[in-house]
Amino acid sequence: MEVTRMSSTASRTYLDQFPAEAKVIKAAFWSSFMALAIGGLLGLVQALHRTDVLRFIDPADYYTVLTAHGVLLAITFTIFFLVGIFTWAVTTSLDRGVVDIRFTWAWYIMMVVGTILVGVSILGGVVDAIPTYADVLFTFYAPLQAHPAFYVGLVLFVVGSWLAGADWFRTWWAWRKENPDERIPLPTFMALTTTLFWYLCTLGVALSILVFLLPWSLGIVDSVNPLLTRTLFWYFGHAVVYFWLMPAYMMWYIMLPKLSGGKLFSDPLARVVFVLFLLLSTPVGIHHQYLDPGIAEGYKFIAMTNTMFLLLPSLLTAFTVVASMEHGARQRGGTGYLGWLKALPWRDPVFTGMALAGLMFAAAGFSGMINAGMNINYLVHNSWWVVGHFHLTVGTAVALTFMAAAYWFIPQVTGKALWSRQLALGQVLLWFVGMTFMSNAMHRSGLFGMPRRTAEPQYQGFNFEPAVGTVGEINAQVALGAVLLTVALAMFLLNMVLTSFNDDSDSLPANTYAGTLSGPEDSPAVLDNLKLWTAIAVVLVIVGYTLPLASIVDSGGLFGPDISGFQLAIETDPALVLESVREVMP
Amino acid sequence: MASATEQSETDQVREIGHEEYDPIGTAILIGIYFLILVLLWLFMYFVEFLGNGPTVVGALLTVVGLA
Amino acid sequence: MNIHTYEKAWLVAAMVLIVGFIATITYGAVGPGIAMIDDDAGSIDPNEISDHERFGETGVEHLGGNEYEVNVVAQAWSYSPSEIEVPAGSEVTFYVTSRDVTHSFTVVGTNVNTMVVPGQISEMTVQFDEPGEYGILCNEYCGEGHHTMEGLLTVVPEDEFDLTELSTDAPREVEAGNETTINATVSNGMQDGLETTATLEIGEQQYERDVTIDGEGSAELTFDVDTDALGEGEHDWTLTVDDHEESGTLSVVSGTDGGDTNE
Ligand code: HEM
Ligand SMILES: [Cu+2]
Ligand SMILES: [Cu+2]
Repeated sequence: MEVTRMSSTASRTYLDQFPAEAKVIKAAFWSSFMALAIGGLLGLVQALHRTDVLRFIDPADYYTVLTAHGVLLAITFTIFFLVGIFTWAVTTSLDRGVVDIRFTWAWYIMMVVGTILVGVSILGGVVDAIPTYADVLFTFYAPLQAHPAFYVGLVLFVVGSWLAGADWFRTWWAWRKENPDERIPLPTFMALTTTLFWYLCTLGVALSILVFLLPWSLGIVDSVNPLLTRTLFWYFGHAVVYFWLMPAYMMWYIMLPKLSGGKLFSDPLARVVFVLFLLLSTPVGIHHQYLDPGIAEGYKFIAMTNTMFLLLPSLLTAFTVVASMEHGARQRGGTGYLGWLKALPWRDPVFTGMALAGLMFAAAGFSGMINAGMNINYLVHNSWWVVGHFHLTVGTAVALTFMAAAYWFIPQVTGKALWSRQLALGQVLLWFVGMTFMSNAMHRSGLFGMPRRTAEPQYQGFNFEPAVGTVGEINAQVALGAVLLTVALAMFLLNMVLTSFNDDSDSLPANTYAGTLSGPEDSPAVLDNLKLWTAIAVVLVIVGYTLPLASIVDSGGLFGPDISGFQLAIETDPALVLESVREVMP
Repeated sequence: MASATEQSETDQVREIGHEEYDPIGTAILIGIYFLILVLLWLFMYFVEFLGNGPTVVGALLTVVGLA
Repeated sequence: MNIHTYEKAWLVAAMVLIVGFIATITYGAVGPGIAMIDDDAGSIDPNEISDHERFGETGVEHLGGNEYEVNVVAQAWSYSPSEIEVPAGSEVTFYVTSRDVTHSFTVVGTNVNTMVVPGQISEMTVQFDEPGEYGILCNEYCGEGHHTMEGLLTVVPEDEFDLTELSTDAPREVEAGNETTINATVSNGMQDGLETTATLEIGEQQYERDVTIDGEGSAELTFDVDTDALGEGEHDWTLTVDDHEESGTLSVVSGTDGGDTNE
């Protein structure tokens, strides 16, 4: 099994092997970096504004900024990077190009067009010349109503990602014809299982937008059921977090062992893990609605138990990945119970970035367990604890892994050597330190009730009372962390830009990924039966969602009781404000 | 296939196969992680959460006198 | 499948962890009796909130014993009522709904926290054992003024709490020598009867009435004021029932100056 065709791949970069695909991947990466650059800068604006360190925008514009930050980072940055990496993974591990490169460009362009539509409609919130309103945050809960262009843009983006998935499947089918008896190579297996649950979960948000929100924003129907569209959003909203995470997991499984100088500890377990994600990512979304009215406690309890079992693949990953790193360290001469840690290649920014990202994910795992804990959600729901949590998950485990991976990938797809390894190493360390400050302080804030998504959390009638420390000290840590993160971000972008202007290099590493200690031949063939796992995943979704959805539709109606859209701007709706004022007066 | 998997590593001083490899360091690290998780969970649930009352309770239970 | 012993052990430990978490949460539900917001309170048409039996009139209501209900309407960017007062030692059920977009009703520094989704009613029962003051805030983005949406919840000592309301009806001016009356309506929002004393102080004089009101009832009080004894001039008066107070001024004028004018 472990046959090598050294001659064909040794010291050949991805660009040498697949020049056409490399171009699309490079484009996708740059789209991703642009979203990261803009989104990250907006993050700094938010952090400084909220903590009252520096306020130069109107509080009303804060929500436009926050919508852009959420959409650009959680949707655009992550998913553009993902489609790039998965295209690399499928083509590299199948050792064949995509079936039709025009199709590949088509989905990439579709995603770009979607992004531009969404971006411009958000921008309308601060630029008077653009007549759109989309201050609805990335969750776009009805009856907050965005301009139709916002919804259309999202749909285009998602459909683009569907076509990307189709591209990977086509490539795999073509390979399958030529290799009828082979096991699916692990990277392709990971990309395909992830794509399958992406199809399954995006069905919810597509339904929500196409059947309800878009017609409603166009005035074709005049009411929505807010709980229904919200539930459909979260049907997608949990699985999407695994969608962000799976490329990072892929990197940890197939790159980290190699970078450590070892092999993946267990290919079969890696497959089990991805199958579990396919099965369990979707029927858990109700855990984002623990505090929603209109959903019976029983359904929340079921979502909670499913969610807890979803910890399993992540806990298994922690073991497998660390064991693979240990394997590498020992092969490099590391010894002792923990002394081998010193033998790891800490000077390599790709390794160190991914390892630190994994470490932060271990911490995020803990706050995630709390978030999953149903009744303890009364303590943390919608507080800054949650924001602290997901800056560790998507904001670091994913983002830092992607940035570290870029130090390896950009040379692979451009043929140009990384401009500065030192700068890259400093960058990943600085991100880690900055996030430690920001995220820790956010978690602490949440515990005394600091709300998320709030421009100026200073209230007239009461003060926050932290059990330990002061609000000022905690805010200072958030602001400091945010500044460090922004500096790290600038270092990353600088390195990427200068790399692009670097001279071509012929001393680049070959396009390879980690071998395995225990290979696919050790795992039952049924693991590769994608049809079976998809069928079970569908059944689990039906079991998990039929009754809650039925009862929501039953009590609130499919289109709700005449609920029209709101665009609650302070200046545009004086009648509403007046009414509010009247209410507070005794 | 498997052509793209890494086979040689320049810094490698020895080759360790699956049979001869015991990830003892990993077992230790993950054991420590396990302990941290358990302790923090107990702290968060019983101190931070249950100590943060008042809390939403079921009307039925309180009638029975569980308060 | 070839799984290392350590990894098998970790699999078992991970399962123990997961089952332990689920067990803790289940304990929270049956031990301290923590209940989740659910669908018990049903749905509502946001356009008909004002006519709704519950939300037509918002605020605190007594159910009997130590049980209370608080009906709250959330809307951009306030709560109605924005200030809530309940007694210590009470069991309070909040019903919250939204007139416009999704909000939250979050009592800061406690585990009282719910989403408020238009079309739905959130119901939460909470026991308040100790007096205290808590902020209320909205933690779900609800438009540009979201960060200004707040309220206040005060838990007062049990003996300082009532749902008594006092209103008065008194003349402003009366001719010396004429009989006049100061009228008061005392209503009792509690389910239990109210036994108390109403005191009217005017000038040097003091009148007292014992008042007994049934639960959910009200009483009309009439105080006959002796204007001769007051003499001509401005007389401040204060009517007190428990810690509720109403006051005003009565001018006693000479016969030729004018008649008996009401407010
Ligand atoms: C320079 C680095 C960053 C800074 C300073 C930053 C700062 C912030 C702050 C202060 C908030 C909270 C806003 C509020 O609750 O009012 C926020 C929200 C958020 N951030 Fe970041 N962030 C950064 C990077 C990232 C990255 C890399 C991601 C994801 C890949 C990310 C994803 C999000 C998301 C999804 C939200 C929630 C938006 C919402 O509530 O609608 N952030 N960020
Ligand atoms: Cu989730
Ligand atoms: Cu709000």
